[in-house]
Amino acid sequence: MGTENKSSLIQPDLEAYVEHLKSESCRPIIEDSAGPILRMELSDRILKLCQANSLWPMTFGIACCAIEMMGTGMARFDISRYGSEVFRPSPRQSDLMIVAGTVNKKLAPVLLTLYEQMPSPKWVIALGNCAISGGPFKVKENYNVIEGVDQLIPVDVYVPGCPPRPEGLLEGILKLQEKITGVRHPLPQNRHPGSPLRKVKGLKSK
Amino acid sequence: MPPTTKIFKEDILFHEFNATETDYNQRGYHLEVALEVNQVRKFAQKAYDHGFYLVFVTGFHVLPEETEEGTTSGLNGVYQFARYDRLYRIKGHVSVPEDMSLPSICDIYQGANWHERETRDLYGVNFDGHPNLKPLLLSDEDQDFHPLLKEEENLKSLKEVSWSAEVPDSAEADEKDASE
Amino acid sequence: MLESDFQERNRFFLNMGPQHPSTHGVLLIVLEMSGEYVLDPQPVLGFVHRMHEKMAESRPCVGFMPNTARMDYVCALPYNHGYVSLIERKAGIEVPKRAEYIRVITSELNRVASHLLWLGAYLLDLGAFTPILYGFDDREHILDILEDITGSRLTYCYYRFGGVSRDIDDKFVASTRAFIKRLRERFVIYEKLVTKNIIFIKRTENIGVVSPDMALRYGMTGPNLRGSGIAYDVRKNEPYSVYPEFDFEIPVGSQGDCLDRYMVRIREMEQSLRIIEQALDRLPEGPVRAKVPKNIKLSPGDCNFAVEAARGELSYYLVGDGTSTPYRLKVRVPSYSNLSCLPELGRGILLPDLVSILGSFDLVIPEMDR
Repeated sequence: MGTENKSSLIQPDLEAYVEHLKSESCRPIIEDSAGPILRMELSDRILKLCQANSLWPMTFGIACCAIEMMGTGMARFDISRYGSEVFRPSPRQSDLMIVAGTVNKKLAPVLLTLYEQMPSPKWVIALGNCAISGGPFKVKENYNVIEGVDQLIPVDVYVPGCPPRPEGLLEGILKLQEKITGVRHPLPQNRHPGSPLRKVKGLKSK
Repeated sequence: MPPTTKIFKEDILFHEFNATETDYNQRGYHLEVALEVNQVRKFAQKAYDHGFYLVFVTGFHVLPEETEEGTTSGLNGVYQFARYDRLYRIKGHVSVPEDMSLPSICDIYQGANWHERETRDLYGVNFDGHPNLKPLLLSDEDQDFHPLLKEEENLKSLKEVSWSAEVPDSAEADEKDASE
Repeated sequence: MLESDFQERNRFFLNMGPQHPSTHGVLLIVLEMSGEYVLDPQPVLGFVHRMHEKMAESRPCVGFMPNTARMDYVCALPYNHGYVSLIERKAGIEVPKRAEYIRVITSELNRVASHLLWLGAYLLDLGAFTPILYGFDDREHILDILEDITGSRLTYCYYRFGGVSRDIDDKFVASTRAFIKRLRERFVIYEKLVTKNIIFIKRTENIGVVSPDMALRYGMTGPNLRGSGIAYDVRKNEPYSVYPEFDFEIPVGSQGDCLDRYMVRIREMEQSLRIIEQALDRLPEGPVRAKVPKNIKLSPGDCNFAVEAARGELSYYLVGDGTSTPYRLKVRVPSYSNLSCLPELGRGILLPDLVSILGSFDLVIPEMDR
């Protein structure tokens, strides 16, 4: 579920999102027939809403960006507002891997093992320049650093910076929530003060 | 008031080695010792007996040159010791022979265990008597890679990277052994 | 302690790390265990080896500055300090007095920030969730102060050859003084919450005793050494910058257990605040950066410079060859020597005690791997 095509446009509109679901080739909806036996869009949407609002990250802090990840979990920036309160040490209990730091040749098999141990659906945030492209270590004499963690595992959100500010990581979480559900703040209580209240349409079938 | 170095002349301890006093403000250490391969362990034992701690063991790579014993390998090992109670730093350097091996000082200074493993990883210097010479920093597939060895075109001779070479192009032909 | 027959049947190998909440980075410790007792811990490094020394040889000496901050990111300014002082010693550059004072103030602030992070992380390992929140909150105040003048929160690259890059203003001085006052009040909270806590004392007293001879054989420095009773601090023993002008003490422990190392760091924070206050009182006027040539040529020969980082003695060793690129740069990091005593220290101890010892050593793994 988390491996949606990066280039597909996600409309921040529930109507259009449902249309998009209907147009997916794996779920053909033939107008003049009786239709499929089970229509899963609504339960999918509810499930994605729940998943997006309680992403449990795995503590995979490698280097400098790990300190900013810890800072995001602390009192000032408080990632638990967005649902990611519990940082699980074990990959089997988490669904978000935040790769914070430089991956090198010795660490690459470890990263792959951890990724495979995570149960689906799972998402990956590449935090910091080193995880995106090798960062300051992408030099001519590089013999050890893997230039970008997306050479090993599929990445959903890239957060640039060296190291990125904790607000950057929070924006990355919000972008990931948008990617999963199609809207930026999936639950009304998470909206920022001053932004217009959005009518949550589509709960009744049209 | 920090203790000064001239209270007790430590260089007397190392008189049997080829030791010269250096200017601390210029170089950052007080004594420079040019060692032979068979003197390394005696030097380390002397330092331990007199209360020095091991700062690091490392190496650097220069052009191999011809001496009367044969061709050197171009690698030089560097040992640095310092004290806890007084300010005194000693640097010892030794030229690694062609068979690329140096005696290990692990039984005298256990801290040298990891320093020697790292030097083997980065330069390929073998340490005789080391209990566990496995790769420390590099992965197992890279263990013979020796990344800090320089390419042919970047190598310079030992004279060019020593203090006596004031102008890099013209190195003095006749210089004292001890002054590097 | 070990009934050999029973323990033989229960012998197994356990991997602690590389992804583990208490190893403070990517460190793998292969533990040969027998029941709950550790027989032989062997650390495996190299998971964050980022070839800093190779990068130093391939670029002019000014291009290595960002690397110095990324080796130990928690306490990056002393690393900057060591490197710029090394090049200044080699090239004979004089640093203006005001710049030296600014360097001391910012380095000591960074040391306090590093110790606060250590405090939170150590107690998180032992199972206490509250102190890390307090510690990080205090640390955020320091980061705000330093962000105004340096521009970054974590990996600072603020010092330049011949001084610092930007001058400090009155806002910095005022906010630092306010912070010192605030932190002294917060120390009372830490004292009541942590230091007098019976669970903490039971987890740290008489655990991981490092004798002075063991410290000498492994080359340990920093608070780990001072916990064992040896008063060695590079700022007093081998003074650099303007440290001789300040009046501060070196806290020393007596037994060398985890509690002593904890107390040394707590008292060191107070001494750092003393240094900052004295420096702010005596801050001279003047330029903050000397005029240096754009391309500094390093004369042939080798040079060494040692500073006191938060974790111990940090030494840079440079071999120059007449160009502006170093021929060889060796960075001797304190955590490397501090951790190398683990195979001897951790023999025959319980696994939770090993976690407590690792936390009290205050390790930062990327600086060990360089």
